[in-house]
Amino acid sequence: MQSFDDKLNSILLNVEKPARYVGGEWNTPDMTKHREGDFCFCFPEVYEIGMSNLGVAILYDIINKEPGFVAERCYAPWHDMGEEMRKHDISLFSLETRKPLKDFTVVGFSVGFELLYTNVLYMFDLAGIPFRAKDRDESYPIMLAGGPCSVNPAPFADFFDVIVCGEGEVADLAILKIVTEGKKQGLSKSEILARIKNVQGAYVPALHKDGETVVKAVIPDFENAPYPEHPLVPNIEAVHDRATVELYRGCASGCRFCQAGFWYRPIRERSAERCVALAKEMVESAGFDEISLCSLSTSDYTGLEQLEEGLSAFCKEKNVNLSLPSLRISSFKPEMAKDVKKNSLTFAPEAGTQRLRDVINKNVSEEEIEKIAVAFEAGYESIKLYFMMGLPTETDEDLDGIVEICKKLKWLYYQKRHKRGLNISVSCAVFIPKPCTPFQWEAQISLEEMHRRQMYLRERLRAVKGVSFSYHGAETSVLEGALARGDEKLSYVVEKAYKLGAKFDCWTEYFKWDVWQKAFAECGLKMEDCVGAIDTDKALPWDFIDTGVSKKYLLAQRNLAYQGITTKNCREGCNGCGANKLGRCTIC
Amino acid sequence: MLVLKYEKTARACFISHIDLLKHTERTIRRAEIPVKFSNGYSPHALLFFSAPLALGVSSKAEYLAIDADMSASELLARYNTSCAEGLKASKVFECSKNPNLQGKVVASDYIFPIKYHDIDLSNGFEIEYVRKGETKKEEVGSKIFAVKNVDGKLCLCLATGNTNLRPDRLLGMLNAMFGANMKATDIVKVAQYFKVDDRLIEADEYLDNLE
Ligand code: SF4
Repeated sequence: MQSFDDKLNSILLNVEKPARYVGGEWNTPDMTKHREGDFCFCFPEVYEIGMSNLGVAILYDIINKEPGFVAERCYAPWHDMGEEMRKHDISLFSLETRKPLKDFTVVGFSVGFELLYTNVLYMFDLAGIPFRAKDRDESYPIMLAGGPCSVNPAPFADFFDVIVCGEGEVADLAILKIVTEGKKQGLSKSEILARIKNVQGAYVPALHKDGETVVKAVIPDFENAPYPEHPLVPNIEAVHDRATVELYRGCASGCRFCQAGFWYRPIRERSAERCVALAKEMVESAGFDEISLCSLSTSDYTGLEQLEEGLSAFCKEKNVNLSLPSLRISSFKPEMAKDVKKNSLTFAPEAGTQRLRDVINKNVSEEEIEKIAVAFEAGYESIKLYFMMGLPTETDEDLDGIVEICKKLKWLYYQKRHKRGLNISVSCAVFIPKPCTPFQWEAQISLEEMHRRQMYLRERLRAVKGVSFSYHGAETSVLEGALARGDEKLSYVVEKAYKLGAKFDCWTEYFKWDVWQKAFAECGLKMEDCVGAIDTDKALPWDFIDTGVSKKYLLAQRNLAYQGITTKNCREGCNGCGANKLGRCTIC
Repeated sequence: MLVLKYEKTARACFISHIDLLKHTERTIRRAEIPVKFSNGYSPHALLFFSAPLALGVSSKAEYLAIDADMSASELLARYNTSCAEGLKASKVFECSKNPNLQGKVVASDYIFPIKYHDIDLSNGFEIEYVRKGETKKEEVGSKIFAVKNVDGKLCLCLATGNTNLRPDRLLGMLNAMFGANMKATDIVKVAQYFKVDDRLIEADEYLDNLE
């Protein structure tokens, strides 16, 4: 009989980028060590994207550092591989030891984006695991989900036995140990789940009673929390193929549309010393030629200068590039522009007028936009601007403001450089009301209105020379909006959509709008109904999660938004959102 | 110039040549090998590879020239502690100049895991393979330099480099001729040859004697 490896080898020769499926990356932890229990981390996207995910890397590392426990990985097989696996009757397996997912103690999915829900089912399907928790007995692994979408787990809760709301650093390992122990003792699935329920952040849908609260998991000591100093080195070029250092969690800006900014509170910074040490260790152990600093607003980081100082000699000596992403205008310092490669500046004013920026609490003033002149002086010749359209209270005047900003930048450039030729690229996403934000009750603009505003802006930007314009698909934004605030009923829509052929929805070329419309219709729902305004006194599907930030605070923020009143940056003093009851904000 | 002879086996045989370049750069950085960098706007490490290997095919004889000032034995030791599974080096050569691996290597030996048969090439050798969904026919007799018996197995010496014959393209024909069921992952490259005055010289021998 053909061995599994043999069978796999012949398949790998028929698919694109076979290195996606072979594992064996440098820095792979010891897979031969004694294993009492094991955890397979699944990321519902292709290898190159999954390998770029810092969250999974952190959690994978924690479990593998624990004696007696092993973590492995699995990414969504690309279409061709999925087909080959079905044809040859190969069940979805882990990269490290090629073990079927079915045979792990715990299988955990990182769900970071609403448009990945169908890929979760695609992976369940390839693994031969029934979609709904109620259809799985003790013979299956405990199926867990975590990641940013746990902010509203309702649309996928029925698929999982447990959902970790918040930070998985402590919870995942604790759950793995409980399941391992429980299986050893011969406990039933519900007995095991009852024990899991006591872990902070663990939401067990089957045992959840009305009125119960799940407190978001927050790691107690962010500074010293375990970090993957010896990260895996991707087999094929990943989207973020470099040493990534997480400077802090949370964000002090409080932009009212931003889910991550509220969800990752309390705000905790890591010291520059530790960040420098981590970056060096990562480069030395992995051989990366680039270090990137990761956090929601990197240039706000207190120790930024110290960090750059601590790394500059090292980077020079090792020929390593230090890249600084997501700069905010208000924190742009000319020194920062000096040494970095002068490819392109990135700024995110998010809205075209001061009025609307005040509504969304994006604290970027006109004077600050003028400060970009410093960067032009420093040699920059192109700039990327990020905006959002469809924000609450937005009018065409605000869209005109985007055009005005472009004109202003061109003028500033001409003033400083005495020539034309500034390249501006404007990228405009569609606003999506997200849970755990002051805008969670807002309506999303209709599909037609999205199209109209996109065309409106496109026409006007066309008249400005040197500006290129790109915008997100309106249809995917509607779907994202519908899923983000959806309830349990949406799980049937997701399942239906998958069965009708939806998967890899994040890929424009595979996104099937008609399939999704059909899936909603067959479940007796209308997508438009899921993206309308929500009454503020209506119960929300995610109300049972205590994120630290009180609903009262979010409501107050919403009222301030309507009055166009901004809230100060948390670095200037606490605004009393409530998150610090789950851990100290280290910035004020 | 130092030249490493390394393998590309097991899982590593699925790593494409482009990705291998990046892998090796990282291995060199991890191993703290003081490789020289090119000048210019975006400097790159001065590493020179032998011709790309077809995806899936293994090799015991890949070569990599490295411009670094260090002892050969130390390079070998350091490289081997820092390279990923399936990419271990077996030998190192010291050369006074860049051996120009891509330009001067013209042939390679591949072992196909079937019993040795003498293949008559006097009337040419036509193969059929699928490329981008299209079935192609090609006369490749002139690109097969020798049919050898290596430990009772079939070994073919095939054109490599500018004129190239991918070993996996012969599989269809060989499987049909000998009732076999070989696939690309069964093929192993075991040697490369430099061309000197119309003569093929095995790479190890050539590099050992390179002035
Ligand atoms: S607790 Fe205070 S400082 Fe911390 S995030 Fe909330 S408002 Fe900001």
